[in-house]
Amino acid sequence: MHELIQTIINGLTTGFLYALIALGYTMVYGVLQLLNFAHGDVYMIGAYIGYFVLGWFGGPQHVSIPVPLLVAIMFLIAGLGCGVLGVGIERFAYRPLRNAPRIAPLITALGVSFILENSMLLLFGGFTKSYNTESFISQTAGIHIDGAVIDPVQITIFVVSIVMMWGLMQIVDRTTLGKSMRAVASDREAAEMLGIKVDRVISYTFFIGSAMAGVAGVMSGLAFNQFSATIGFLAGLKAFTAAVVGGIGSIPGAMIGGLFIGLCEAFASTYISTKYTDLIVFGILIVTMLVRPRGIFGRPALQKV
Amino acid sequence: MKVRLTMIAAALTALVAVGCGSSSNKTSSSAGTSSAAAASSSSGASSKSCKATIAIEGPFTGPVAQVGLEQLHFAQLAVADDNKANGTNVNLVQDDTQLTPSLATQKTQSILSSGAVATVGPAGSQEVEAVGPLFGRAGMAFISGSATLPALTTDGKNPTFLRVVPNDNIQGPQDANYVINHLHPKAVLIVDDDEAYSQGLVKTMTPVFQKAGVKVDHETINGTDTGATLANAINSLVTSKLQPDETVTMLPWQAAANAQQFGLAAQQQHKKTILFGTDGTNSPSQFKIPGSYVSNFGPDISSSSRPLDKQIVAGVAKYGPYGSFGIPTYAATDVEMKAIAAVCKSGQTPSRSNVLAQIKKTNIPPAQNPLAVTIAFKSNGDLVGQPGYLFKIGSDGKYTEIPPK
Repeated sequence: MHELIQTIINGLTTGFLYALIALGYTMVYGVLQLLNFAHGDVYMIGAYIGYFVLGWFGGPQHVSIPVPLLVAIMFLIAGLGCGVLGVGIERFAYRPLRNAPRIAPLITALGVSFILENSMLLLFGGFTKSYNTESFISQTAGIHIDGAVIDPVQITIFVVSIVMMWGLMQIVDRTTLGKSMRAVASDREAAEMLGIKVDRVISYTFFIGSAMAGVAGVMSGLAFNQFSATIGFLAGLKAFTAAVVGGIGSIPGAMIGGLFIGLCEAFASTYISTKYTDLIVFGILIVTMLVRPRGIFGRPALQKV
Repeated sequence: MKVRLTMIAAALTALVAVGCGSSSNKTSSSAGTSSAAAASSSSGASSKSCKATIAIEGPFTGPVAQVGLEQLHFAQLAVADDNKANGTNVNLVQDDTQLTPSLATQKTQSILSSGAVATVGPAGSQEVEAVGPLFGRAGMAFISGSATLPALTTDGKNPTFLRVVPNDNIQGPQDANYVINHLHPKAVLIVDDDEAYSQGLVKTMTPVFQKAGVKVDHETINGTDTGATLANAINSLVTSKLQPDETVTMLPWQAAANAQQFGLAAQQQHKKTILFGTDGTNSPSQFKIPGSYVSNFGPDISSSSRPLDKQIVAGVAKYGPYGSFGIPTYAATDVEMKAIAAVCKSGQTPSRSNVLAQIKKTNIPPAQNPLAVTIAFKSNGDLVGQPGYLFKIGSDGKYTEIPPK
């Protein structure tokens, strides 16, 4: 029984990270119909920002402020930094191609991904870096359920992720910005004609999505300890899978899709073999595209007749 | 006008071709340029007539960059030291392979079309399998300080491959026997990372454990995974495969950080097991789970009183906290440098064939190399001596050398 519970805990840990990254994919697709393949690398940069913030406050061995405050500051700065990065990417790489054929921004997104990854490699080297989380957060404390353990970092990931997702839903459902985002996603031209500042809405969308990916990057560093410039690519692909499975363009879909993919990975690793994890995850993507291309929560595309 | 434009275009094309040709032979990062400069500048009194270029292949970026860069810095130091001692003017160029056979193949082809006369590396056994025939056809010697798969020197496919480390037939049984005799487990979990190096060690360890009546549980992870995927795989392994009676877990991996992650996952899930890593996990800054063991082919020279060891320690100090993983690479580079010096001394110009022939005659006594064993090669390229070292990680994360038997 403890094996099942621990597997669920492990799966939810990665699932929430995939969900946070997938939300960025789905939001950007919603407003721009663009698959932002650079998004996984924004998550990677979030991990680096968190690492440097940790260093500013004394490093893992000599943390100079209370740990909960440190973690909150890491999330905040990584979120802000990645949010600004996302806005910058949209402004300079995607906006000039707003009216170009769809393939153009897609290729640009791939190019931005390589630029981000290789820039970090050049700037900070190829070393795997480590948060050394065990030096300032106990790995053995936490909640024990029938032999399974949810450690403090995992608890933090679950709580913060749920709060962020709830916050995002509130923004989208109840605020003017959210209404504008939904309007732009529905019909950009009509939204512009109604006086909505489309460029600004798109920038906000990129900011929010990238900020969430940045926070996910810090969570990844805290939970998995090690990171490098290459962690973004595969995580981005898995999150993209999550967004597609959940329904690209659907925010609840991205959340559920992320958790689903994380749990599938964990169950595949535990009960089948770690060798087949990627095969299974990307197999799910293919099956989804064949059987239900709009995903679990996606809406069928409307056609004017 | 048309003729003038054509001539200008031709001149520009020639300039570009020269620029591309020189840059493709240069290092893949600025560090390489500085290493070449360092190698040349440190040989202030060198004989300008003994010029040559050697290359190093290694994982200077990617998940095992820590050990790759350690190898690179030890190689750069060896070139500088030997240029100074022998009066040679040897240039070292570097090629990043990220420990992947496909990249290693590309870099090898680039090396072979350059003027290099010998190569240090590559680091991984899977890379040697890929590039051995290429080096063999070109008649270029390549010496690895870390590729240990036994078949590399027995299958006949790598005629110009040599190594300054024992193969898995030595390391695997040595490590397994230590575990049996000193840790007395009833069962062990062995996890390989799906690479040739790792699988080779598993093949040599498993029969030793089974013969001693120790139950062996063999699992696999994808060693090239990163981030969340890797974490999921490790967490799942610890959750479902690490049994209470498996008091020792063998990790013949190439990424020390992954071994650290495994240890942390075991701690987090309250699973008690002693980790035993092989030379690929030897990295004091990355793998430091207290109570673990790590084997290697290089000794701990940090507190040695031998002049050569002190010189090496002082030379690499500026690069950061290194373990003993780079020492065999220093030795490998030293072998090539001495061979080039010997060729020059005999009045010849270094070439691939005469350097290879000289390398095969290498006989460096223990006092003159950091491995502290005789460096001489068997006809198949294996090292005659059989160095093996073992370290235990203390409660402070520091590595302490202990007897390996």
